[in-house]
Amino acid sequence: MAAETDTGAIEDFGQVSRTVGTVFRYLLLAATMFGIVMLAVLLLYVANDAIRPLTADPGWYLAFFLALVAPTGIAGWAVRRRDPAALTFGTFLVGMLVVSLMFSGGVALLVIDVVPPLVALAFAIGLAVPIGATVGLTRYAHRISFTLRLAATTAVFYLSLFGLPGPIGDAVGAPPIVPSLVALVQSVPVIPVDWMMVAAVVGGGSAAAIGTYVASVGDGSAGLYAAGVALAASAAAGAAGPLVGVDSVPAVVITAVALVPTTAYAWRGGFTEEGSPLGLVFAATVVVGALVGAAAVDVLGFAGPQSWVDWGFLTSAHSGTAENAGLYPAIGGSILLMTTVAALSFPVGVGAAVYLEEYAGDNALTRFVDVNISNLAGVPSVVYGLLGLGVFVTYLGRSAGTVLVGGATLALLILPIVIISAREAIRSVPSDMRQASYGMGATRWQTVKNVVLPEAFPGILTGTILALGRAIGETAPLIMIGAPNVVFNLPTALGSKVSAMPLQVYAWSSLFASEDFYTKAVPAGVVVLLAVLLAMNSVAIVLRNKFERTQ
Amino acid sequence: MSTDELTTDITTQTENSPRELLTRTFFFLCAALSIVTTISIVALLVTEAARFFSLTAPLLGVTGPTASIVDFLTGTSWNINGGEFGVLTLVSATVMITLGSAVIAIPLGVATAIYLSEYASERARSLLKPALEILAGVPTVVYGFFALIYITPALSVVFPSIGTFNMLSASIVVGIMIIPMVASISEDAMSAVPDELRQAGYGMGATKFDVATGIVVPAALSGIFSSFILALSRAIGETMAVTIAAGSRAQFLNPVNPASFLEGSLPMTAAMVQLLLGDITGGGLAYRSLFAIGLVLFVITLVMNVISDFVAQRYREEY
Amino acid sequence: MSQNSTNKQNRNERAERDESADPTADGMDIQTDVSGSVAASAGGSPTRETVVSAKHISVWYGDDQALSDITMDIPERSVTAMVGPSGCGKSTFLRCINRMNDLIDSARVEGDLYLRGKNVYDDDVDPVALRRRVGMVFQKPNPFPKSIYDNVTYGLKIQDKGGDYDEIVEESLKRAALWDEVKDQLGESGLELSGGQQQRLCIARAIAPDPEVLLMDEPASALDPVATSQIEDLIEELAEDYTVVIVTHNMQQAARISDQTAVFLTGGELVEFDDTQKIFENPESQRVEDYITGKFG
Repeated sequence: MAAETDTGAIEDFGQVSRTVGTVFRYLLLAATMFGIVMLAVLLLYVANDAIRPLTADPGWYLAFFLALVAPTGIAGWAVRRRDPAALTFGTFLVGMLVVSLMFSGGVALLVIDVVPPLVALAFAIGLAVPIGATVGLTRYAHRISFTLRLAATTAVFYLSLFGLPGPIGDAVGAPPIVPSLVALVQSVPVIPVDWMMVAAVVGGGSAAAIGTYVASVGDGSAGLYAAGVALAASAAAGAAGPLVGVDSVPAVVITAVALVPTTAYAWRGGFTEEGSPLGLVFAATVVVGALVGAAAVDVLGFAGPQSWVDWGFLTSAHSGTAENAGLYPAIGGSILLMTTVAALSFPVGVGAAVYLEEYAGDNALTRFVDVNISNLAGVPSVVYGLLGLGVFVTYLGRSAGTVLVGGATLALLILPIVIISAREAIRSVPSDMRQASYGMGATRWQTVKNVVLPEAFPGILTGTILALGRAIGETAPLIMIGAPNVVFNLPTALGSKVSAMPLQVYAWSSLFASEDFYTKAVPAGVVVLLAVLLAMNSVAIVLRNKFERTQ
Repeated sequence: MSTDELTTDITTQTENSPRELLTRTFFFLCAALSIVTTISIVALLVTEAARFFSLTAPLLGVTGPTASIVDFLTGTSWNINGGEFGVLTLVSATVMITLGSAVIAIPLGVATAIYLSEYASERARSLLKPALEILAGVPTVVYGFFALIYITPALSVVFPSIGTFNMLSASIVVGIMIIPMVASISEDAMSAVPDELRQAGYGMGATKFDVATGIVVPAALSGIFSSFILALSRAIGETMAVTIAAGSRAQFLNPVNPASFLEGSLPMTAAMVQLLLGDITGGGLAYRSLFAIGLVLFVITLVMNVISDFVAQRYREEY
Repeated sequence: MSQNSTNKQNRNERAERDESADPTADGMDIQTDVSGSVAASAGGSPTRETVVSAKHISVWYGDDQALSDITMDIPERSVTAMVGPSGCGKSTFLRCINRMNDLIDSARVEGDLYLRGKNVYDDDVDPVALRRRVGMVFQKPNPFPKSIYDNVTYGLKIQDKGGDYDEIVEESLKRAALWDEVKDQLGESGLELSGGQQQRLCIARAIAPDPEVLLMDEPASALDPVATSQIEDLIEELAEDYTVVIVTHNMQQAARISDQTAVFLTGGELVEFDDTQKIFENPESQRVEDYITGKFG
């Protein structure tokens, strides 16, 4: 080529064929999308079977399109043009409302059917008093030695929860001398009505959380003020609920768990300096649109889809006919199991992670534990089920299929995952922070408590929620420990038999295998299970994003 | 400050204060629990399996029916009521599921990893990675239902002779389930390939295709292999999807004969569930057979995890 | 308030002197500058007690020797600077004084180091308790993600010390010349301050528990020139009450603020340790002279 040109310059670099590369690239993309598309199609099928969107009147769709979809689209477009961050905030606010409404459903289920309000109140008071005493003790008397403080704390909790001499006395047959605070509250002759007690427990808890949140953003008095408003709102909902046709107890729970936190978040995002009211406009469009749409179809008499996922499905128990079968005991069982699993696996998992990252040196034992944990993460879940069956049921003689045995088995199952993610979160705490703390003469525990854990907490929480998401979908270990396939009542104690959502879905698709169950109850169960999982995972992802941004 | 006072101060032992001892002990016990779990699993599986076999049962004082260890490991028929415990029957079904899911997950997973690591834009990655995580996050009982209700009927259009319960649909869903595992571990390995290697390739005039297939994949090969082994070990331990979709009738199938994928059989994990749902009395032969299968399953997955760790360790040393 | 006004006076004096020193950074100017500050403290120097006394300290990280056979005495209430090229072991030596090296698994220390006559490498010394008596300020400002108030009281809290925290916070922040800037925002996060303010907060945090010795590991290297000069002023003031040991790679800084200078050279060797004036005007060793005049290093 060069010989043909007089100047000796290269005229042409030639062409390298890109055809193979392009084909390869699109093949890769297709492979990447295969699983995702396949799952999407399957999800569409199951959602179609469960919700049956084609059974609705066209007018129903039109009404919701006009009231909800079109305004949301327009508002979203307009808000995005002005301020994309406001759209994110508004979407997040709507998402928070939906997720917190689901969560309040779970809490309502607990206070209505599992824990009687009086017992809940008694335990809330029985815990709040010693916690208050302990906080006061550490705040106003920081010179008291640790041993004394520990003894005082233990004593005040024991007295409040068990009285004197309590279970230790029972064991030796001593008569009770001082009743516990819990028993005292329960023996009060005049008790308030249920919703007031629920407002005190759930509303109080929510108010405390809101107060702390506001205080951390603004100052202490604003926090106190916000907590007062939140508590008053919960109580007011209980009084006003019956007037608009909602029972008092659910009204209190929904207000305390869903409406108050969402409002607090909306207020902070909409009216403080860094927020923008535009996001609120978007969120309001969605919420008002949904309400208007619902009112319109009601007035105009358009029938919605004949969904199998309906109120009856969520609130009734199993039945021999698919139309009447419901998921209520399984939902309650899953909630109780998750609470037990979280209570067991969180402290132990974080403790193990702290030991491995902050205490253990680099020696053979640590490396062995390290390898051991990664291998435990790979042990099939059915083997964990065998462990639960063999150790808890057969050797320790616990009765099969209870909340406690199921929760403990699932906790062991997710423990390696919790440990691994907690270790990652702890490792991401900058080492300057530790250096600063050790340089001040802090001990290991002081460094862990004051510096490492507060910094790593969001990461640990994210990892734990994702691990709980794994546990909530597990079926095999529950079958192994003998959880019953059909439960008609909610478990009310740690020793009650428990079912769970995936177990119920399995029972319907195997033991009650019939066309009827395949097309009605099972798809509905799958949709509910996936919705709960989606809600949990999105909470975890939101937390993770927030965490990564602040890092 | 006087010297004596200072000496007293700096010789105060903080390490052994009750607070430090208590917290250190608590954290240590938490970490030790993982070892206790492993020991419990091994001890439980080994003792119960030992009580199952005729060879070892008398040593543990077990009377009553037992099974021959030779028949267990070599028999090709599984029938509890008939006293036939040939675990190979179950293993053959498990091997089929594993092979079938490997055929799906390995090419798709590696292709996904190459795409994510070499081709996808930052934005595409941020959308695709969570989407792939969802594949692994869907409960396996849901996958089993999908296989039984949607995939099998669709397959019967192509293969009219397919059974209601069949290995093919179970393999497909298990394959989809483990794609993210292959993809994410392989992608980690590919991302760990130093950029200089890629630059060197481009500097020689290689196309992106040449670099991806000729430089990145070979350099990340051990990581990719380690992902295969780990994902297949997951497929072997997978329970609910195969329990629902693969059937309940144990029969010995030839894993390398494609036609046998259209039939149903009973993989190890499904057999365990079936045993549990049947009427097993605590301590009976069926109960003990459960632990014998569990032991086989545990050993297989453990060995695979260890191999995968070993392979992954080797590639980590290279950079 | 009275202390505050003294601070300001001092600062003005320093500013004037810095102005004269800064435009030309050659050897002559530094020497004239230094002669002033050494002369001011020379009177007290013979009577000063030794606070930190190192005897044959050697440190290894794994098989690599980081310090070899260091012996030196550091007098109280003065600024002792450690200079030398990077990797010469000056920071390692600093970390021997409060046993921060104990936190590194591979580190091994030999020799003795006395703090007011007590060997800190004795078996009965708890490194954690030792660090409560020896404050440390790090290269990069590292306040905790807590409020300014909580940052300053951290040392008191972990030592279960009582006392009027409000007063101690005010006192420490005043000494760190930060009080006026933050007195209205004590509840806000320490991370919201500027880099220079963060480093002064770290100094306030270090002096709040009233340590015996204050160690500073290149405290100004991550800061801009204005913040650096503030920190330098502060160090000289702190030397009235504390024994300050500072590591720096900046020769002018060592000349400006220190009373004694130790020169470490490659291989973890202490080549010369003397009054700063002597080191910069008339070093014994040719290698030190080469290093100071920039021929090497």
